[in-house]
Amino acid sequence: MITPFRSHRLRSVNRTVLLGLTGAGLFLASLDAYVVVTALLPMLKSVNIAVNRPEQATPIITGFLLGYLAVMPVAGGLSDRFGRLRLFAACLVLFAFGSFLTATAPSLAQLVTGRVLQGAGGGALVPAVLALAADLYPAGDRSPVLGAVSALQEIGSVLGPLWGGLITASSFGWTWIFWINIPAAALLFWALWPEIRAGGEERRPANLDWLGALLATAGLALLTLALYAATPEQSPVGEGVIWQLPLAALCFVLFVWHERRTPHPLINVRRFRDSSFTGSALTNAIAGAGLMVALVYIPVLANAVFSMNASSAALLLFRLMLGIPVGALLGGFAAQRLRSYRLVAALGLVLAAIGFLMLSGWNEGSLTPHLLGSPLTVADAELLLTGFGLGLEIAPVSAALLDAVGEAERGAGASFLIVMRLVGMLVGFSLVAGFGLWEFHRATAHLIPPLPGLNPNFATQYAIYVLKVKQAIFDEYHLIFRATAIALFIGALLAALTLRPLPRPRWR
Amino acid sequence: MHAGVSPPRGLAAGVAIVISLSACGTPPPDAATLLKQSSQRMLGLTGFHFQMQISGFTGPDEPVQSAQGDAHPPGLQARVNLKEGGILLEVEVIFAAGNIYLKSFTGGWQQLTPDEVAQFFDARSLFDPDVGLFAAMRETTAAARGNTEKVNGHDTYAIAGHVSGARMHQLLTLIRDQGSYQATYWIETQGSDLWRARLTGNLFDAVKPATITFDFSNHDHPVSVTPPPLG
Repeated sequence: MITPFRSHRLRSVNRTVLLGLTGAGLFLASLDAYVVVTALLPMLKSVNIAVNRPEQATPIITGFLLGYLAVMPVAGGLSDRFGRLRLFAACLVLFAFGSFLTATAPSLAQLVTGRVLQGAGGGALVPAVLALAADLYPAGDRSPVLGAVSALQEIGSVLGPLWGGLITASSFGWTWIFWINIPAAALLFWALWPEIRAGGEERRPANLDWLGALLATAGLALLTLALYAATPEQSPVGEGVIWQLPLAALCFVLFVWHERRTPHPLINVRRFRDSSFTGSALTNAIAGAGLMVALVYIPVLANAVFSMNASSAALLLFRLMLGIPVGALLGGFAAQRLRSYRLVAALGLVLAAIGFLMLSGWNEGSLTPHLLGSPLTVADAELLLTGFGLGLEIAPVSAALLDAVGEAERGAGASFLIVMRLVGMLVGFSLVAGFGLWEFHRATAHLIPPLPGLNPNFATQYAIYVLKVKQAIFDEYHLIFRATAIALFIGALLAALTLRPLPRPRWR
Repeated sequence: MHAGVSPPRGLAAGVAIVISLSACGTPPPDAATLLKQSSQRMLGLTGFHFQMQISGFTGPDEPVQSAQGDAHPPGLQARVNLKEGGILLEVEVIFAAGNIYLKSFTGGWQQLTPDEVAQFFDARSLFDPDVGLFAAMRETTAAARGNTEKVNGHDTYAIAGHVSGARMHQLLTLIRDQGSYQATYWIETQGSDLWRARLTGNLFDAVKPATITFDFSNHDHPVSVTPPPLG
């Protein structure tokens, strides 16, 4: 939970500049959250991993999310103890170091380590900057500033895949996505250094629930491992699932048990008895999973069957990403106007589910037909609709959860929202990646490629073979998108059944 | 405190010197003997794990970039990374009971004819007792022992020498059979296990150099390769 300091020293400096600099750092880190989705294939190639082993890309994505999730619960407390700017600077250094490891990686192990560190550095920046903003502005003026910080982060993550795709397709190549972070972080560090060295920041001992954070992280790490299908031709989940899954469950049980007893829990677990709280948390996770599926599989689909390069793939995905902020703005407004969270949230999730169903019908000719003579194609509209739906649910679901926790736990509630979204992304993506590839291998188990050379009909046979492989890839995506649509429908049902209506506005 | 050496410490130093002198007492065998011993050792193993990496200029005819697997010559099973246009593909191969099996991008195992294999990368002779790498070790000329080096945590003698192009061509038919190539072997000081071998030269082109590096591990862990189920 974030409790602002009333720091006289900080208020005397130019707070706009300070917030601008830290906000720029946050933007940099949020760009990198989903930046890899359009760069996965070249990344794999540079660590010598074959294109027919795409499962090895999974840890590049899950590693970042895990790193992010590991630091989120403790970052707020750490910023109390060490000072916002110090924590910010330390995380920036960690983020830059992670970028360096990623850019120079000769092996998948180093690539993933770099991504974990980037996630950890980037994840801790969010609470640090939010707390700093809360310090710098008094309670009455704070809301728009906090909104701006959150918006900056959202815009960064929406632009990330586009940014990554453009750099990957350029002559610079994918490593520059990460190289560029190092001078940028150094510049920010240099600009903030006088303020850090002056040491005027207030600090206080914080009650950090290390054990709780450790148990939660261990549980998530084990769950991720259990769901990671390293050999999807044999199993849709990991080899160690039999012992990893129960161990993960044990960690979560211990976490809940510990949280109930500790005087300063990360999350007040008794809140889960409130159906509006639990419902919004789960809905949020499901929506996160839906977004992640779109983020990963639209670029891969663009790449594998539409033969697009990284920048065209990024532009295709950008149509969906563009719908998100539009939906988010409208969602907040509509929920307020209709005085119903459940209606707007369920509508958003249903629209997103319909969008995914439409996407699941794509085939090789799906990108060309235009929508009723307009410059937009049908595919554009489907992507926009999906993004719009995913955006529409954000405000009502978040607001329902924050209403449920009440004024005093709002900071913790906001962190919990981010955590649940990321958990949804992590678990949803891990499941989809494993089962999707398993299905692909199952469908092509008897599809033996023709060999060139002595075979006079090789060209024809090969063309037929390629067609069949593409069809199997399409089938895999159809399955993935349909499964996602079902999950989103369940989310919509959950939202419709559990979210409480808006409280009456009260003047205080 | 005085600066002199106290009696117990002097004694300890004396013992240490004696021990180190006796360690130096038996000089290591010469390079040619080491190569023969190591060759014999490797050919007598019940199995080993290997990793092969090809770098430098490999031209359009040499598709393999790397391979790793287990072998008990002539039996061998490996995952192979192939360059195909601008992309990398992984395939699996098995040499068992005189036959060659391939598992490609999709589908199950198929049996290849010797002619089909010869077009790609015929690795059957890589570890052959008569023409393979371990045989080439014995025929390395101008071998010289370098300093001891650590390879995968093991103390090894680095031994450098030359192998004729014709000899290397037998080992892998894709290699040009002209001139001679540089070969370096890293042989464990105790027990003569071969941990690494590197072949360098204009292997696949008249003017452009390339390198093949083999890393070995799991020496003498039994490997048995059986034909896979087809289809």
